[in-house]
Amino acid sequence: MRIVCLVKFTPDVENFIYDYERNVLVREKTRMVINPDDACALGFALKMKQKSSDLKVDVITMAPMSVLPFVEDLIRRGVDQVFMISDKRFVGSDTYVTSKIIQRGLSDLSYDCVLTGTHAIDGDTSHVPAQLGELLDLPQISNIIKIDEQNFSQNYALIEVDGESSTSSYEVELPAILSISKESKYKLPYVKYEAVSQDVSDKIKIITNETLEFADEEVGLKGSKTKVARTYVKKMTKEDRLVVQNDEAGIELVYQFLKQKGFLS
Amino acid sequence: MSRVLIVIDSENTKNAIELLEVARCIYLEQPYETYAIADGDTSNIVIGNFHHVFKSVDDLIKRPDVRDLVDVIAELQSAYHFSSILVPATQMGRMLAPRLAMRLHVGLVADVTGVEHSTDGEIHLVRPAFSGKIMACISNYGKTPLMMTVRQNVFTYEPQKKLQTDVIEIKSSSKPRRSVNLIHTTAKPASHDIRDSKVLVSGGGGIKRDFNKLEALANALDGQVSASRSIVDSGVATRNVQVGQSGKTVSPKLYIALGIYGALQHIEGLKNVHHIISVNTNKEAPICSLSDIVVEGDAVEFIEKLLKKINDPTES
Repeated sequence: MRIVCLVKFTPDVENFIYDYERNVLVREKTRMVINPDDACALGFALKMKQKSSDLKVDVITMAPMSVLPFVEDLIRRGVDQVFMISDKRFVGSDTYVTSKIIQRGLSDLSYDCVLTGTHAIDGDTSHVPAQLGELLDLPQISNIIKIDEQNFSQNYALIEVDGESSTSSYEVELPAILSISKESKYKLPYVKYEAVSQDVSDKIKIITNETLEFADEEVGLKGSKTKVARTYVKKMTKEDRLVVQNDEAGIELVYQFLKQKGFLS
Repeated sequence: MSRVLIVIDSENTKNAIELLEVARCIYLEQPYETYAIADGDTSNIVIGNFHHVFKSVDDLIKRPDVRDLVDVIAELQSAYHFSSILVPATQMGRMLAPRLAMRLHVGLVADVTGVEHSTDGEIHLVRPAFSGKIMACISNYGKTPLMMTVRQNVFTYEPQKKLQTDVIEIKSSSKPRRSVNLIHTTAKPASHDIRDSKVLVSGGGGIKRDFNKLEALANALDGQVSASRSIVDSGVATRNVQVGQSGKTVSPKLYIALGIYGALQHIEGLKNVHHIISVNTNKEAPICSLSDIVVEGDAVEFIEKLLKKINDPTES
């Protein structure tokens, strides 16, 4: 059985630096991380690989060359092969174009199942898994919190989905795109000590536009169906706020406020 | 006349009407007609509010494989030429809209929280980006249909005069796909939706270890407990009580923020909140600048003191 995991490296949004003067993200100073939901998807795949020796786990990622060290670590964590799509011409692609690029990148791979995350912490549009599903004419399901390990085969998967008002389980025919949620708590295995300096270069294939052969106007900003017209930072302040201490007078003021506004009888 | 198609998620009908406000924001004074696509048992919500409803008799919207619904909407698009298609950013909507946009070869903007008209007449759809740290105004170059998913609980629609809704029954022309089959489903307890609560007692990183203490204060104020992302990420609270861009947008009358810093992604989840009381050791935390009252100090101590006062108001 072959699983392909779609992985995105994202800026660590919790700790990123934003230049409020120039209104731009300081990318050079921003640490990259593997998107948490994608890490869970890959965590599940590698767990299955440990259980059955004939299972292959490949990763496809679209990323700048600067994340190559992270990509190398994916091999050291147990991934068989990484297909890294990287080309300056693809910079600025929206989700529509990104999905098309990934589809073409996948066209030479064989797989029984594509695993992805549900959300990405940077853009958080969740478009790519579904759009890839459309391009490949495969079913795609988001917010998966569990895949039954006993009943995971080339033909079908049993999954559990965390819905808004219910939790549901489905039987899904494979191939399909299964998008895992962070709530699944699948963990990416650590890099083993003996693998830290392992040479993995033969297991990483860099795919550029030389192979994918998109015309310039099909990719990047030019090919995108949407563009960011402008950005702004929201600033909100309340003029007439009261600052009190956590003492008797402060508590009294809060108490009276709650009574006055009808929150306490 | 412009035609707007609005998808009604049968799992989540509460916010369906809000999308009419989005349509109003797009077209303003220009004439337009609204079309809803809804499952059989949810069509009552749209009667009187929409000009037309496509009533699906074979529960298309509930099907786990959204491809059947994409097929139907794509057919409707070639017959009706909608100038915009609005989809709620529910779980179903988030799986449906990207596929549909790809099928129709148009761009899609996710999780829209605002509509602006630029000086050159372009429509800009506003959405938070980078975890809510910045707001991005996105254009689709004026192509039709204009497609978006709309963040729930953000827009407010004031019902207009009752419309004579014309009902158009639709059936999918092809057989339902069989590749995704529902085995069983368990409903979650309904009473815990923080979006329905008038009072929220919310905890952040500053109160992580004592998060369970929030419950007593929430009970005293007849409210519910909610949490910031850092609390949810650390596993102390579940995601269904998370306030913020990656959680829920809430509109309580009172929001008590205990040990919450108030990163933009959290603030994004507060819409039309009447009053905020924040308790924080750092009175310069962003949440404090939005508050009616800022209590400078320890959140646990605050809960204890306030509860004491509520239980025995005479003691001082």
